Amino acid sequence: MLETQDLGFVYDDGTVALEGITLAIEEGEKVALVGPNGAGKSTLLHLIAGFRMPFTGKVTVSGMDLDRSNADTVRRNLGFVFQDPDDQIFMPTVEEDVAFGPRNLGLDNVEERVTKALKSAGIEHLAKRRPHRLSYGMKKRVAIAGTLAMDPKMLLMDEPTSGLDPRSRSELIRLLRNMDKTMLIATHDLEAAAEIVDRAIVLNVSSIMEGSMRDLVLARDVLEEAGLEIPPVSKLFDALDSMGYQIGALPVSMDQAVAELTKVIEREGRHVHAHVHEHNHARGDASHAHPHKRAPLEDLSKED
Amino acid sequence: MIVAHISVGRSIQRLDEHASQIWFGRLDPRAKLLGVLAFVVATALLTRTTLLLASLAIAIVFAASSRVPVGHLSRAYLAALPFVLVASASVFVFGGAEKGLNMWMRVSACTLALLTLATGTETFNLFSGLRRLKVPALLTTLLMLTYRYLLLISDEYERMKTARKARGFAGGRNLLDRNGMRVLSYTAGMVLIRSSARAEHVYEGLKARGFREDMSMWKRSTIALADASFMAVFFAASVVLLALQIEVVI
Amino acid sequence: MHIPDGLMDPIVAAIGLVEFLFVVGAALVVSRRALRDKELPRTALLSAGIFVAQMVNFPVGGGTTGHLIGGALFAIMVGPAMAIVGMTVVLLIQALMFGDGGITAFGLNGLNMAVIAPLTGWGVFNLVKPIAVRSKRLGEGMAVAVASWASVFVAAAACAAELAVSYAISSGAYGIAATVSVPAMLGYHAIIGIGEAIITVGVIAYVHQVSPETFLHRAGTNTSRSGTARILSSKTIHATIAVLVVFALALPFYFLYASDGKDGLEQTVAGTGVSEGEPIAKSPFSYGESYFAALFAGIMGFLAVALATLGILKLIDSRKMSG
Repeated sequence: MLETQDLGFVYDDGTVALEGITLAIEEGEKVALVGPNGAGKSTLLHLIAGFRMPFTGKVTVSGMDLDRSNADTVRRNLGFVFQDPDDQIFMPTVEEDVAFGPRNLGLDNVEERVTKALKSAGIEHLAKRRPHRLSYGMKKRVAIAGTLAMDPKMLLMDEPTSGLDPRSRSELIRLLRNMDKTMLIATHDLEAAAEIVDRAIVLNVSSIMEGSMRDLVLARDVLEEAGLEIPPVSKLFDALDSMGYQIGALPVSMDQAVAELTKVIEREGRHVHAHVHEHNHARGDASHAHPHKRAPLEDLSKED
Repeated sequence: MIVAHISVGRSIQRLDEHASQIWFGRLDPRAKLLGVLAFVVATALLTRTTLLLASLAIAIVFAASSRVPVGHLSRAYLAALPFVLVASASVFVFGGAEKGLNMWMRVSACTLALLTLATGTETFNLFSGLRRLKVPALLTTLLMLTYRYLLLISDEYERMKTARKARGFAGGRNLLDRNGMRVLSYTAGMVLIRSSARAEHVYEGLKARGFREDMSMWKRSTIALADASFMAVFFAASVVLLALQIEVVI
Repeated sequence: MHIPDGLMDPIVAAIGLVEFLFVVGAALVVSRRALRDKELPRTALLSAGIFVAQMVNFPVGGGTTGHLIGGALFAIMVGPAMAIVGMTVVLLIQALMFGDGGITAFGLNGLNMAVIAPLTGWGVFNLVKPIAVRSKRLGEGMAVAVASWASVFVAAAACAAELAVSYAISSGAYGIAATVSVPAMLGYHAIIGIGEAIITVGVIAYVHQVSPETFLHRAGTNTSRSGTARILSSKTIHATIAVLVVFALALPFYFLYASDGKDGLEQTVAGTGVSEGEPIAKSPFSYGESYFAALFAGIMGFLAVALATLGILKLIDSRKMSG
């Protein structure tokens, strides 16, 4: 679907933005591009979309090698969602804006496409509204809908979760996770990435490492250097692990965490207490006997 | 004269939203443009007092029945007043009461008609109407893009002014206040720099959505009975007024 | 100085429209290739920016405030052709969204604010600049200031002239008598021009400092080219042509005025039936004497300022050398 070979790009002032980038994304894959600010993630996305020329190396999208003359054609296969939705919302109502893309590309069945795209982005109720009045999170959805309406083979997303309030963020994560589209997501929000993608590429001008999200989370020094934080779920299980709580593979997403807990419960053959009560561990209090594997709850507060 | 622009963002939004709720706002923009244009051109050619009275009356009836917000209409009219008053006054002084009155009536009738058109039509719709009347795509696209970002940039400007005030800026009240004027121009400079910077992103945004040359509306209105009647009324009025004017001169 | 409908004589408005369409057409042709690509959104965004910048109001005494027109600013930033197109967009939006400026009067408004203002600003800037930068203390800022002031003043003179012609040829039915329009427009805008100059200088200085790539047109020295090529493509030549074009635009109006046979003051007096000995309104200068006086005032205005600038600069230069 998308392939780059030894890609490189230099800014006008001579600074090297990207160097030796070689990657491949299959159809149906969801890949995250992670790295610190200034790593070149955004530049890479722009380059793939034909907005940064000239570059060294090769970019192949759907079998087409990108160059100056066919940038417009290559872009037809890509749906680029910008970081700032205001940079790509142009029309006075949401439905007009979502129709903008397909109409420009001369696609048929515009009405159908618009309805489908609005539905996929979960904003059918906003069809007649004015984008100017919408919240930032909703505007991002409008931008996504507008891109989906063009039926691209692959989505390029630049920091989709940045600037969103917690509710909008989790809604967007759910939306992208359930969406059946090939996507390349540039982000420094590792937790969001973990919930959405299958694998990730760590970027800092050149490619640092590539692998599944778990591989990434386990590579602590790489993350450290890239200034990235592991997802809270992983942090939690890390802490539990150091207390002797045996876990199989370190979970990186919520789903994995729940799966892991379920496994543990079944393995231990115990039920898990979810209530809070005062209990005294007096011997002979058989009605409430449960062996503590570790130190009693009170001691945990001392560890930090 | 540009006083009315000061609360650009909010007033325009409110007007645009209001427009779709009134009968005048729902007319096809082409009909409105052509009808009002005919009326304004005809009125601009009138010099006879009785005809001007008739024209002014038509303009007032039009404005009143269109249901555009009176407050905004009067504020905009008042903003145009200085020029009108100076003109009427000078004509009055040099040419007599009748000529002065004629001047005032003529300018008022034209301005009222144009203002009703402006406030009673959703802006994008209006520009779309221009395009459908064969105005070149380059111009209408520029109009639409400029308008779209005008609201955004004016919001940014308002925020800058607030931030400025929050830092205790109260200057710019005097041409000789060097620091005050400098801050004023720096704010303006900032606005322009940010506008220019955003242009790069907007270009990419447009290209990423396959934009080539023409920005146009998807849902378009067609000429219906209401539109045709509107045009007919205004064309008829314009023709009659002109005919009477020319007859008189000859 | 947005002129509403019904104020100007229809013939004057028609001439204005024809001239304006011609110049805008030329500007569109010149910038067509650029506008087809990256410059399209840039022109739109800058027009929006200028629109907002026009909302900056500065006091001009007596409780009134003036506004930036921005013609010179626009032209110095992106060049004359682009500025003409951009200012036209701004004026169209003002007319169609706010009713600021009429539709039959659009040709004249466009001529004054979207053609004459930017062309004068750009022309004067490029003519004065090579001389102004020789003085280290005043430098480019001086050229910007003079250019901005001139752009406002000359545009106002044009507007005054159009009003005067309208009045003269319509026997007082349209327009404003020269005795009123000229001193009013020129006086008011001479002061507005100062505000425009101050703000434009500040903006250009700020943009230069913070983000010079905003400028499309950089004043550079074409030392690499041959003598004739350099002269032909020089900004000075273009600038001179621009200023000449501005004054050439006034010619049809002048002939229109002159062909009527009567001059302004006689017209005014004849209309009121008062004998020439006791005018109702007498201005200190004989503005009413001829339409051309209005035009002349415009030329004199900016020539005077330019000469004064040069004079001051020469003085500073010579003092520096001797001191």
